[in-house]
Amino acid sequence: MADVFIPGSIEEAVAFLADHPATAMPIAGGTDILVDTRTGRSRPERLVDLSGLRGFGGFELDGELLRLGALTRIRSIELDAELARRAAALVEAARVLGSVQIRTMATVGGNLCHATPSAEMPPALLVHEAVAEITGASGRYSTPLADFFVSPGRTILAPGDLLTAVRARVPSSTSGSCYLRQTVRWSMDLAGVGVAASVHVKEGAVSKASVALSAVAPVPMVVAGAEDAVVGTDLGSDVLAEAGRRAAQACAPISDARGTADYRREVVSVLVPRALRIAWLRATASWPEGSPAPANGVWTGMWTGELR
Amino acid sequence: MKVELTINGDDYACDVEPDLTLLSFLRDVLGLTGTKWGCLTGDCGACTVLVEGEPVVSCLQLACQVQGREVTTVEGLETADGLDEVQAAFVSNGASQCGFCTPGMVMSVEALLRTNSSPDEAEIREALAGNLCRCTGYSKIVDAVLQAAAQRRSAAGSSAGNVS
Repeated sequence: MADVFIPGSIEEAVAFLADHPATAMPIAGGTDILVDTRTGRSRPERLVDLSGLRGFGGFELDGELLRLGALTRIRSIELDAELARRAAALVEAARVLGSVQIRTMATVGGNLCHATPSAEMPPALLVHEAVAEITGASGRYSTPLADFFVSPGRTILAPGDLLTAVRARVPSSTSGSCYLRQTVRWSMDLAGVGVAASVHVKEGAVSKASVALSAVAPVPMVVAGAEDAVVGTDLGSDVLAEAGRRAAQACAPISDARGTADYRREVVSVLVPRALRIAWLRATASWPEGSPAPANGVWTGMWTGELR
Repeated sequence: MKVELTINGDDYACDVEPDLTLLSFLRDVLGLTGTKWGCLTGDCGACTVLVEGEPVVSCLQLACQVQGREVTTVEGLETADGLDEVQAAFVSNGASQCGFCTPGMVMSVEALLRTNSSPDEAEIREALAGNLCRCTGYSKIVDAVLQAAAQRRSAAGSSAGNVS
């Protein structure tokens, strides 16, 4: 049985966790932690309940900067119309996470800190150049989200460190993003492959781009070299295929119940072009505003740019 | 650990074990056994209740985390006139066979209809993705939700008519 400590402030939470490094564990939405305690994956003696801390839930948009408090519920991202226009990948990732009940409870911070290789939020945030804001016993610091994940279930957070917020760059009207995933089932499933892409367009060509993957490496990853394949182009089919090939080469999937390593690489090479294509259409105002990507990124006439 | 909360409109103040789940609190402490003990991992949705009107799986919610909040369980739906529209539609459509998933299903539907008064089939299936039924195959459940939504709309329409 675990005891529960309810801190009155972030400082109290940090101090308690730093004082009990081997036995205490933070809890917010509880949708991962309580499952882990039931299955014996973790056995905390003390849970530090962060869910009541004020000032860490919700998000704000300031120009191109999006700041998401760590206690922001996945459901509130999913339902926000402004985020659907400005950070489509993030909303698409939120929409497919668990069920309505899980999304109502689960937090952005929990999804990141649990560091599941197949988690939905990391790739979507990575293509939006996310930075993690952390408060620890020795003070506050920030780190690119790309450096946050260490191995399955492990982040760079030291005992007593807490993720307090994530800052992300959300596209202007000449940018777009997209998140697609492959699953065995339609819902209540973890990604077999998760792909996020973002594209910035200037004068009819890609000026900047990013591709991030989940479930195909020990940690969520940004594809180095994906940008080089697409910058300066108008994302023709050869360019997209090359970006897909590079992503498939860059990842390091394992074989498990959700697919073999070869299959996952193949899916990466298919979903990366589709995600880039949809991000491009959004960046060029050719996609219905606020409208989600179709399942698996497929729609009639996708290569001609004709929409459903 | 002291917990004070409102359940189905009634105020409660109880001493609970710190890591007691809301599910165990409802069933074992208060005897509200309408909320079902299913998978305990948040997958089946049989333990779905509303907290502040939003659906949560009570097996993954600590009782101490709902301190000061308002909880609605399936026991809180019935009115003086009998079953509410969603419950009645489940009965009349045969949307319940063994019945174990039904309370959780009904609570998810209540949450859906609070924010979407005329959901289509896709929206209903999405809202119920976290509620597993191993008997019905879901078709009759979807039928029940469509009927309950229509009845609520027509009731809202006629009461609005009475006001004007």
